[in-house]
Amino acid sequence: MGLNIIVCAKQVPDPEGPPSSFEINEAELKVTARGIPPVINPFDENALEAAMRIKESHEQVSITLISMGKGISKAVILKAVAVGADASLLVEGDSLDASLLDSFATARLLAAAVARAGGYDLVLCGRQAADTNAGLVGLGLAQLLGIPAITLAQKVDVAGDGVVVERVLPDGYEVVEAPLPALVTVSGEVGDLRYPSLQAIKAAKAIPQTVLGLADLDLDPSTLGRVRTVALAAPSRERRCKMVEGETPEEAGRNLVLALRQDKVI
Amino acid sequence: MALADYKRDMEGCSRCSSCKWVPFNQIKSWRFAKNCPSICRYNFHAYSGSGRMIIGNSILEGRSELNDSVAEIIFRCQMCGACDTACKVYRDDIDLTEVLLELRAYCIEQGELIVEHMAMIDALKREDNVLGEPKARRGEWAQGLGLKDINSETCEVLFHAGCRYSYDPDLRDTLRGQVRLMLQAGVDLGIAGAEESCCGGRAYELGYRGEAENYADDLLSRVKASGARTLVTPCADGYAHLKFLYPRMGKELGCEVLHVTQYLQRLAQQGKLRLRESVPLLVTYHDPCHLGRMGEPFLADWREDKLQRPMSLKRSGRKGIFDEPRDLLTSIPGVELTEMERIREYSWCCGAGGGVLEAWPDFALWTANERLEEAKATGAEALVTACPWCVRVFRDAAAESGLELPVYDLADLVMLSAGITETARA
Repeated sequence: MGLNIIVCAKQVPDPEGPPSSFEINEAELKVTARGIPPVINPFDENALEAAMRIKESHEQVSITLISMGKGISKAVILKAVAVGADASLLVEGDSLDASLLDSFATARLLAAAVARAGGYDLVLCGRQAADTNAGLVGLGLAQLLGIPAITLAQKVDVAGDGVVVERVLPDGYEVVEAPLPALVTVSGEVGDLRYPSLQAIKAAKAIPQTVLGLADLDLDPSTLGRVRTVALAAPSRERRCKMVEGETPEEAGRNLVLALRQDKVI
Repeated sequence: MALADYKRDMEGCSRCSSCKWVPFNQIKSWRFAKNCPSICRYNFHAYSGSGRMIIGNSILEGRSELNDSVAEIIFRCQMCGACDTACKVYRDDIDLTEVLLELRAYCIEQGELIVEHMAMIDALKREDNVLGEPKARRGEWAQGLGLKDINSETCEVLFHAGCRYSYDPDLRDTLRGQVRLMLQAGVDLGIAGAEESCCGGRAYELGYRGEAENYADDLLSRVKASGARTLVTPCADGYAHLKFLYPRMGKELGCEVLHVTQYLQRLAQQGKLRLRESVPLLVTYHDPCHLGRMGEPFLADWREDKLQRPMSLKRSGRKGIFDEPRDLLTSIPGVELTEMERIREYSWCCGAGGGVLEAWPDFALWTANERLEEAKATGAEALVTACPWCVRVFRDAAAESGLELPVYDLADLVMLSAGITETARA
């Protein structure tokens, strides 16, 4: 009996881009990414890596990557599936702009997509998306699928009919188990996604891909919650530089300590 | 800037096709009259500078859409700048290279990525070099040379080796020889060793501007910490990016930037580098695009009507580095220079640039072979150039085609004449 894993992956503007890559248009209430590519949300990459580790240590594991949004980059998906996914399912549409959907609408769309992907035993999501950092979609999806959810995993394994998760805590981790099917949100502690070779990326064009539109899903689009941006502004950053004087290096050092104490830094 | 900022440039194209040819008053023969490898190879207007501008304008106006096929046309281009130089002989109001760069950035923003480029950028992010070689091994080439380490000491001159030179074993003797020439001249020279990173210029040309800016910031902080007054690089690509792209991005290095050929020529003029030994060789010189027409220093952007732009701000390609390499070459006793038909700002590209070598190596080698044939037609015994990417692709092309023409880096011949014993190979 095989194990079917679904990994949900969102495309976001490369979060490693410099601040100048994000053009904030306060009048039109939108942020435009300039000179940076879309990438798979890094936490979703962690989820895919967790899936790959399960696949390596168990037999008959199948991984399906699901992505949803407006203008999904095929090359980015290709690179992700090239690490070892067995299939991908994309839900595309102009109305699926992630910045216009609220988290629960995204979860509903993903739940409908999961239903189209066939059977599943384990759903893995990133702990949060690097663009919104809301961290709500995974839990919403579990709620809609009616399965248990475990958040913030640093290690995911399957044993018998259940999933065993090391869950990150502020001062360590706890081990949590749940029966399958289940959903786990994965944290960065799992480790970076492995790099596929160029040959693997090219060969990944042969991996089965299903592309669906909103009309293919079993839900009423008019009931999807939409986000309305009320105001948008770049946070102002102020740098104040204070020169610490002193006749000698020792005196300057003492004055620095006093200044830091005065500012309650130490 | 964005693609939309170049709308007037794009819609102003009169489709005269000058972008496909060496400027007409410089054409010497039909055989070597073309200047653009892309249109020459693929022979559809879309593959020319003009064609790509029409594509850009069409996308901008919503008359066509960007897809995999269109993106491939946009990227099957070495970004050599020959089209721009030819266009500007006749037009003052079109910045063709800028449009091509904007188109590439637009593709990246829209997720229309060339997988080979994506893999290259991943490798760059991982190892800080475009070849994906281990970062820890970047400084190995300098072992035993006694160079200062700028991570712990200051220096007068910072030597930035660049990605290709740092890792290509075939070019190692050349790189070490360049450094030994400078050390012999008493230069206070430092390197960043394993901490040296890519300049980011290649990322910029592939459209990954954010990545380029990250690397510019990185290099900027390193140069400042080194205290160097001069930065010398043997990488022609790097030179162009430090000279043009960095100041344009507002990243002022605060020091003089020189290509190694400029610096060696200066040392020779000052009598600190003595070229004594005769190197009896009839050679022809290939102008690397990024040292030549693309190596013009940045002066200022012009955002008004370009027909009102002062000529000094027009990027004509003629203010690049053309004379110093030739002066250095001909100051070597015994060396005789014979020129090819396409030289200086209307030089033919080696084929390696713009991500072509990584994504379509057959196109890169075809372009290089075209140049080798032109070099051979001069009767020269060897081809000399001053860029590691050019040397690499020329040698690979000659090996593939069986065309017998030794390819030297200019520094190889300088080393021979100065009595430096690192083995110079061709």
